[in-house]
Amino acid sequence: MPAKNELEEKEPAKNKLEEKIENLHVNLENIKTKEGIIGYILRDPKSASVDIKDPSKIIDYAILSSTVLNSGEYMMNAFKLGRINHIVVEGRNVKVLSLTIGDHRISVFMNKKVDHNIVYKDLHLK
Amino acid sequence: MSKDMYATALKNTLTEIKKMCPDIKYSFIFTKDGSIITGDGEADPLMKKTVHSFQSLAEKAVAIGGLDALSVNGENGKLHISRVKDMYMVVTTSPRANTTYLLSITNVIVPTVLKLLENIVPTPLKFMPSQQLVVDTLTGFFTGDNVQVDGVHLKEWSQHLDGKDVSKVEIETIGGKKTQRGVKEINDPKRQGQGLILIPEKTCRALKAKKGELVKVKPIAS
Repeated sequence: MPAKNELEEKEPAKNKLEEKIENLHVNLENIKTKEGIIGYILRDPKSASVDIKDPSKIIDYAILSSTVLNSGEYMMNAFKLGRINHIVVEGRNVKVLSLTIGDHRISVFMNKKVDHNIVYKDLHLK
Repeated sequence: MSKDMYATALKNTLTEIKKMCPDIKYSFIFTKDGSIITGDGEADPLMKKTVHSFQSLAEKAVAIGGLDALSVNGENGKLHISRVKDMYMVVTTSPRANTTYLLSITNVIVPTVLKLLENIVPTPLKFMPSQQLVVDTLTGFFTGDNVQVDGVHLKEWSQHLDGKDVSKVEIETIGGKKTQRGVKEINDPKRQGQGLILIPEKTCRALKAKKGELVKVKPIAS
């Protein structure tokens, strides 16, 4: 049985993660309104929120989003580079920022000129 | 200039880049079709795994106009894959590495070397394409040691090898096990045209390859 102080330490960590995830929805809605942002996909084990400007791209983007995180994890494990902070995939005109927060997998699609570092900060800091 | 010299030139380039950027841990270059051209030696077992995973991602990246670059930022290090003409360069670094500096170097040096090589090599280099096929087993007394693939592949490979017959193939599993076997056309019409490679059970066991798994198959000219 864990000591009392261990439980006390775990509780704030859990609350912090829950708070982060609650903020995530708000942050994504804010990010979506910024210039050059094409949309986002947010998935957890039970549900998914998809907001992509061009509906005809939703399936392709959803498949890409899932593959990015799976391939990234596979490669990072192979090279023993640890847990992923974030992944950026650049195409001809579009790029994708993908990351995991708790059991939530997020991909933000944007024009190539958008600074993904700002988007990354916006996802975390607010 | 032979393919080996071409690979050596690129290998030396990677070595020199590593000297300039000591934060680089592994680096290697592969082609769009997944052939590994060169690496710094230490990454050998990791290259195949990376290329395989990257190719699956590249297929899906058609949705964003193809794959130009991939950056993964991890707790213990970073991984960058960038496209240089028809090739991809993979670099892994420590977490502290200045990637802007690193990429500014690699994005100048590697294309310059490639351009230089193109000028020296009179015709573009052909890297033998490896084909990904699905394993199916050959059973029975008279199966022998040969594997069987579709006749279409044998024809394509033969064309690529300037009309030479392909009598042998190299089979490589995802786990990295390799073997060379004689090859024939699939004689069972029910199993033709399905992207299969029929491998005798004994060879499957040696390769630890199971039915339904993907393997890479490279032709060897006779």
